[in-house]
Amino acid sequence: MTGLLVPGLVRFVWTAIRLAAAFAAVSLFLFLAIRALPGDPVALRLKNPSPAQVAAERERLGLDRSAAVQYVRYLGHFVSGDWGESVRTGAPVVRDVRQFLPATLELALTALVLGVTGGVVLGLLAEAARAAWLKRTVFALGMVGLTVPIFWIGFLFLLAGSLWLGWFPPGGRAGPGIEAPAGTGFLVPDLLLAGRWGDAGNALRHLLLPSFCLSLLPAAQVCTTLRARLQDPRVGALLTALRARGLSPAAIWLRHVLKLSAGPVVTVAGTNFGILLGGAVLTETVFSWPGMGRYLVGAVLERDIYVVQNALLLVIMMVLTIVYTSDQLAGWLRQPAGSAGRERDRGGAG
Amino acid sequence: MKNKFDILVLIVLLLAAAGWVYTPHDPMEQAFLDDRLSGPGAENWLGVDGLGRDFASRVWRGAANTVGMAAAATVLCLLVALALLALEQGGPGWVRPGVRGLVAAWIGIPVLFVGLLLLVFLHPSVPTLVLAASLGSAPLAFRQCRALWLEQRHRLYVTASITLGASRGHLLRRTLWPNLRIDFRALAKLVFALCVLELSGLAFLGLIGDPDFPELGSLLRQNQTYLFRQASLVVWPGLVLFVILLLIQLSNIRNSGTRIG
Repeated sequence: MTGLLVPGLVRFVWTAIRLAAAFAAVSLFLFLAIRALPGDPVALRLKNPSPAQVAAERERLGLDRSAAVQYVRYLGHFVSGDWGESVRTGAPVVRDVRQFLPATLELALTALVLGVTGGVVLGLLAEAARAAWLKRTVFALGMVGLTVPIFWIGFLFLLAGSLWLGWFPPGGRAGPGIEAPAGTGFLVPDLLLAGRWGDAGNALRHLLLPSFCLSLLPAAQVCTTLRARLQDPRVGALLTALRARGLSPAAIWLRHVLKLSAGPVVTVAGTNFGILLGGAVLTETVFSWPGMGRYLVGAVLERDIYVVQNALLLVIMMVLTIVYTSDQLAGWLRQPAGSAGRERDRGGAG
Repeated sequence: MKNKFDILVLIVLLLAAAGWVYTPHDPMEQAFLDDRLSGPGAENWLGVDGLGRDFASRVWRGAANTVGMAAAATVLCLLVALALLALEQGGPGWVRPGVRGLVAAWIGIPVLFVGLLLLVFLHPSVPTLVLAASLGSAPLAFRQCRALWLEQRHRLYVTASITLGASRGHLLRRTLWPNLRIDFRALAKLVFALCVLELSGLAFLGLIGDPDFPELGSLLRQNQTYLFRQASLVVWPGLVLFVILLLIQLSNIRNSGTRIG
């Protein structure tokens, strides 16, 4: 047990150090980039200020202090959630993030679930099936998923699902007049918890098309990774041994093969979550989804500095946290499987 | 060239690049104002866009611009990756973990966010997008270059060449390069495909500056409002993009020896 805990603890500490270093680097980059911008940030906050007002505001914001002190104050404000006000929306950045971030997370998480499930099912199907046409079909689907620009396939989905079939709405997060109830910020679960089944169904129809579009890349990557793993000769030998022991195909695939594949699949899923958040920016634009991506792009283009230096830092740190954590989780998943396998092998030999 | 997909990729890229020297009509001139949003025909192969411009000419010039920008981004990306590799392999001992740590954090950030980070202090423009795509793909290129280098540098033929007194230039040019060439070309194609995808994605978001610039992603953005009225204005730019990306992917798969199915 200690043999497993100590490496796990070391990995956890190492991940925390890497995250802290990345946080320092990204925040410093944003701080310096915003300082390099032409113009006075005070002028952005105040309309036609007098010199006295400018001086008072500079003192209040700490802009009259040294760069090092300003950087430390920036980190302090970030950690305490004092993120200032957005020039564009006029609302506190924290409130905007609370509104837009759950929308993006709802989209990305749904896409991740769809992508991983679809990728695992297709990967297992292609390997378990003997028909060559099925293998070729899965390969072709994987190729499309890996290469197709999601902002283009999104438009094709809109054409097919909304214009031709009329099954899905053309965009947005919910139909007109549907107010989000207080809760997690995830619209579909919140509406379900509030017992508004009709509204939940409406929100789900809005969610399905963009999340399916976003799920294509993770599905293709999971499917490709899984197939590569299953084509490993050692896995082939294991399957032969399990068949020789008289296990049913269902038991072999569901109990052993899925467990073997969990590590790589978790790594791909974790890495993909970052890519999904990036892809969500594109999908949000195609489907008029009111999420964090559109909010950030607008903020960057319009130099909304309080949004940029806080919300962009938050999203990048979220991405890095997920990527590093999934790396750690994948390592943890690999270890017990190998140990258990070795123990079984020893038991079997004895 | 034994790989037929390599030949196809070359043909498609040359065809796309020809959009700089020839298009059926001027892609910027509003010469067909009376035929706005008309479908494909003999005069306008892919129809006319909402501002009365020949759409085939805009897609062709857009493909040329996308391919050109991606080529520039690929060269820049590989140069950055090689510079990082030189620093990591030849620099002082304390630099090596620093470079590796930097790349480990950098690779986790999606290219789109790298683009947004750059756009915090740079103006939206073609060079900014090229820089964003190249810097966004650089960590991946660095890791691949590093793997190639580590695989080759301790091979017997390299040791033999060093023992025979080969100079550093000779070693790189005559000994290592012929063995690295194929893998490096595959890496360049992969980076090129990534740059095409990322550049058009960033352009689609409107980060290219000029809203009227003919680039495949930018064309999609310009015409998305006509999706339900004249779908071909959205279908064609994306289809060209998809064909370029698919051919490069298939060419790389064929080169790596993976069998389809």
